[in-house]
Amino acid sequence: MPCERKPMRYGHSEGHTEVCFDERGRFIVTCGNDGDVRIWEGLDDDDPKFITVGEKAYSLALKNGKLVTAGSNNTVQIHTFPDGEPDGILTRFTTNATHVTFNSSGSRVAAGSSDFMVKVVEVSDSSQQKTLRGHEAPVLSVTFDPKDDFLASSSCDGSVVVWNIEEQTQVISWPLLQKTNDVTNAKSLCRLAWQPRAGKFLAVPVDTKVHLYERGSWDHVSTLSDDLLTQPINVVTWSPCGRFLAAGSVGGSLTVWDANSKLCVERCKHEKGFTVCGLAWHPSGGQIAYTDTEGCLCLLDGLSTSASDAKDYDALFDDDDDDDDRLVDEGLSGANSPVKKREDEDEDDFLMPATGRVRNRGAFLDDENSLDTGSLKLGQDKFGDDDDDDNDTGSAIVPPSAAPPVPLRPVYEGPLPTHPQKAFQSGSTPAHLTHRFMMWNSVGIVRGYNDEQDNAVDVEFHDTAVHHAMHLTNSLGHTVADLSQEAVLLACPGTDELASKLQCLHFSSWDTNKEWMVDLPSGEDVRALCLGRGWAAVATSVQMLRLFSIGGVQREVFSLPGAAVCMAAHGEQLMIVYHRATGFDGEQALGVQLLQLGRRKRQIINGEPLPLTLRSHLTWLGFTAEGTPCYVDSDGVVRMLNRSLGNTWTPVCHTRETCKSKSDHYWVVGVHENPQQLRCIPCKGSRYPPTLPRPAVAILPFKLPLCQTSTEKGQMEEQFLRSVLFHHHYGFLSSSGYEVDEDGQTRSQKEQQELLMKMFALSCKLEREFRAVELAELMTHNVVPLAIRYASRSRRMALAQRLSELALEKSNQVQEEEEQDEEEPEYSVGKVGRANPFKLAGSTKPSAPSGQPRVTNILDNMTSSRKSAPLAGSAGKANKAPVLKPLAPRPKPRSKVPVSKKTPDSTEPPADQQKQPEVPPKTGFQLWLEENRKNIVADHPDMEETDVIKDAMGRFRTLSADERLVRTTFKFHQILNLPKLSVVIFSFISIINLAFWYSKTFH
Amino acid sequence: MDPSEVEFLAEKETVKIIPNFSLDKIYLIGGDLGPFNPGLPVDVPVWLALNLKQRQKCRIVPPEWMDVEKLEEMRELERKEDMFTPVPSPYYMELTKLLLNHASDNIPKADDIRTLVKDIWDTRIAKLRLSADSFISQQEAHAKLDNLTLMEINTIRSFLLDSLNCMYKLRSNLQPGSSKGQAMDY
Repeated sequence: MPCERKPMRYGHSEGHTEVCFDERGRFIVTCGNDGDVRIWEGLDDDDPKFITVGEKAYSLALKNGKLVTAGSNNTVQIHTFPDGEPDGILTRFTTNATHVTFNSSGSRVAAGSSDFMVKVVEVSDSSQQKTLRGHEAPVLSVTFDPKDDFLASSSCDGSVVVWNIEEQTQVISWPLLQKTNDVTNAKSLCRLAWQPRAGKFLAVPVDTKVHLYERGSWDHVSTLSDDLLTQPINVVTWSPCGRFLAAGSVGGSLTVWDANSKLCVERCKHEKGFTVCGLAWHPSGGQIAYTDTEGCLCLLDGLSTSASDAKDYDALFDDDDDDDDRLVDEGLSGANSPVKKREDEDEDDFLMPATGRVRNRGAFLDDENSLDTGSLKLGQDKFGDDDDDDNDTGSAIVPPSAAPPVPLRPVYEGPLPTHPQKAFQSGSTPAHLTHRFMMWNSVGIVRGYNDEQDNAVDVEFHDTAVHHAMHLTNSLGHTVADLSQEAVLLACPGTDELASKLQCLHFSSWDTNKEWMVDLPSGEDVRALCLGRGWAAVATSVQMLRLFSIGGVQREVFSLPGAAVCMAAHGEQLMIVYHRATGFDGEQALGVQLLQLGRRKRQIINGEPLPLTLRSHLTWLGFTAEGTPCYVDSDGVVRMLNRSLGNTWTPVCHTRETCKSKSDHYWVVGVHENPQQLRCIPCKGSRYPPTLPRPAVAILPFKLPLCQTSTEKGQMEEQFLRSVLFHHHYGFLSSSGYEVDEDGQTRSQKEQQELLMKMFALSCKLEREFRAVELAELMTHNVVPLAIRYASRSRRMALAQRLSELALEKSNQVQEEEEQDEEEPEYSVGKVGRANPFKLAGSTKPSAPSGQPRVTNILDNMTSSRKSAPLAGSAGKANKAPVLKPLAPRPKPRSKVPVSKKTPDSTEPPADQQKQPEVPPKTGFQLWLEENRKNIVADHPDMEETDVIKDAMGRFRTLSADERLVRTTFKFHQILNLPKLSVVIFSFISIINLAFWYSKTFH
Repeated sequence: MDPSEVEFLAEKETVKIIPNFSLDKIYLIGGDLGPFNPGLPVDVPVWLALNLKQRQKCRIVPPEWMDVEKLEEMRELERKEDMFTPVPSPYYMELTKLLLNHASDNIPKADDIRTLVKDIWDTRIAKLRLSADSFISQQEAHAKLDNLTLMEINTIRSFLLDSLNCMYKLRSNLQPGSSKGQAMDY
């Protein structure tokens, strides 16, 4: 299995660095030239703990919670781990120590120094020292025999010496290295490594090879080498199982050998080719961490320490000398018996550390390059062994005779389960930070401080009119918080003695008791919480959801289908995201429930899967300010619920696209639909912002991921779709009885129709008439005539014909709907959008156009809009022009809408309005003329009145028989419905004006 | 021109604030401001920002150039170059003074910034004096002063003009037979 090289990251300032893992493999610990020891919780830990040990740190060793470092002040110091408390000085030299190491039990420390000495010190009692003298130059490296009898050291004098510790004598000395006068001049650091457990071999890096010496006989038994290694090996280290040996060299090559078969099982090149100077195996054996002389920390992941993978993968090597003899101890390789593969679970445990970050365990599957090479090699191994010598292109990395050994146990190579992500509060930064945001939402900020002096919670409101800032001492140790206009909700996890507590500061309460507290049953911990309007919800560790009223009354309790991940609330809506199942290969399997609380309690989304970007996890969950659910995943994709498409989720923004650098992120704090704003905090080089300096909110625009958004067509389509999507909340709000921003609604609708018209014009220009009709279908029935006009002006008669059919169809449809609507007493939400444009006085809406039978529909439409008026709470506005009220009583008995409420909202002068109804019944032509007069005049402004009539006659004749019929029926209709007509005609006039505006715009 | 007048002009510059109240757009002769959303940065003129700050209605976001590193760079450049280097804002001195006096709690490392801006100012004024000196001593007819801010010109204007006038008078008196001198003698 190919290993995965994780991208390198900055660890220390440039210079010599060293790395090791702690015993449980949770932390990577590094030291460097800046004198700091850093404790990383994984490679992508952006906020490592650090311990300053001196001006420079030359070497470190870690065992049993003790961290031993060699600093620039010529001492070897101990610090506790992971707290970093100084624990005394172990020993001193006359100059700096170069390398320190623990023995296998951790009872002794050996240190080699530039003053030619090696000291062995008891950790418990630093007075018990043994000094090993004999080197004639600075000591490069020291290593203990696992059985504690011997100690090996290498030195700049070119010798590698094995010492008997008790007798403090040299057992054997090999002159293997080049002589130099100082560590800095040495070609190689020559870090020795004694095989753990059995301690059978001592590995000594000698130039580009590794010599293995047998313990006891001190014979040079074998050499590990690789022809691709051209530069000296700096450091070697054994895998924890003692079977594999990893080496890092000058120039950044990493090589792993199987000590049994003497075969190279893994090769890798440093990303930048920096010299590797620190190397450590993860205790589980699945990872190698390494550092280089430039201070970077890197990780090699997915090492399979199983013999079945003795094949090579490496596309990075451009080998040119493959005809050399590549066989190392050919005889041995045959007799090789694979070691048991380590338990998979071990590896997994580490790979999904408790930090909640998801490791992309399966990411390497994407690496086509490596896969291809691997399969290619496999093919050659099977079929083309003989061709090796002729083949120039790299198949020869694998020795022909080294047929892949068959593992004894079948190894599971399928998808691996992902560690389920931990529960979190959206808008909070990780809990381990001493200063963190516990909540940042649209109401305010809750900050948590947890350092030596203070354990406190600060609550601050964006709008100081809500409440003044609060400072609370956090004696209970609250870790999760939420904030609303009414209250602050805090909760702490339970301990052995104390139950998990929920604390609510209900500051908006009108009585004097502003606080209540609830203990959860023992064994139940708060995982996530949120505040709605008048209620609070808490998800607990036993997969329960508890609902409290804001005053502290327990209202509901129910079981969740899975462990809660996050919750969000808005008004009466509650959204819960939970683990639906186990995800595989880095995926999270999340489910979402959306509940409507309040009077009409119901479930809107019943536990459907929550779509996430591949291999990402949820990072933010919430509602837009207007109440549409949305969420953000770790890939930076913002998705919003599309209520009109069966509650599907539409990606509306990809925040990472706007990031300058790969490690930059946006930390989302709020989403607004009107105006369209994504409020977030730009974070340079991290996923979340620090509390100080106070981060500033930035606004990102939304962008739907449509195709070809660089073209004009794509742009307009994106704008249109976005406008439609962000328009849905009006319907939702009015249906749930909220006040609606009518201006905004009209604006967005106007924008949509304008965009449609533009797109229509564009398709006309591009000779896409079919597409133009498709677009016209999307238009409201009162904009279609504009399209007809445009089409006929640009001499597309076929198109105009089709459009007029469409217009007729549309108006009929609207009429039918209207009738249905009138029969149904219940108010339908979808209507509001269509009805409203007519409501607004003075609106320049491209509404009802040149006559046609649909005029009646406009009226009917208005009835529906009026119905919505009281709901929308804007009746005042609608009643602005009561003068315009039609004179005649409504003749339609079917209408159930109270007539008194009806007020036609139009800008027509009242004089005209009142005159109109008195006009005697007209013929079809007269009516038509009335409607189309302006058009005619516009087309021929210099015509006389009689000419106009003549022209109009001509036009009227060209109308189809059907239309004429409609006109005549309309005539009768009109007799019955005079007041309506007056309104129609006036809105028509205003529309004609608009039409002019449009034609100006589009020509 | 009075320094206070220059400061008055500087108050027209815009600065970002984070209001803690909510208010719709306000329509002023100078232009529309807002809308103000709590917690959301908005651009307003300095005079309004300071007014709101004094009433504790907002936090001021320091301008981008008001950053120790950037100012240090600028100071080095200013010291290295013989000519005047471009300044971050035409009212850098006034803005620094105004913002630091009224909103130093919103500006990280306020003291360092004050020192740095003063350093830059001193360097520039020294340059200005030096160039005025050489201008006079070499009896140049005109001088080009790029990248000077209003405040800087103001500090030297009255002195330079007065002294030039004075010198002109002295010179014209010195020249024997000059008509002006004679005329004055009478």
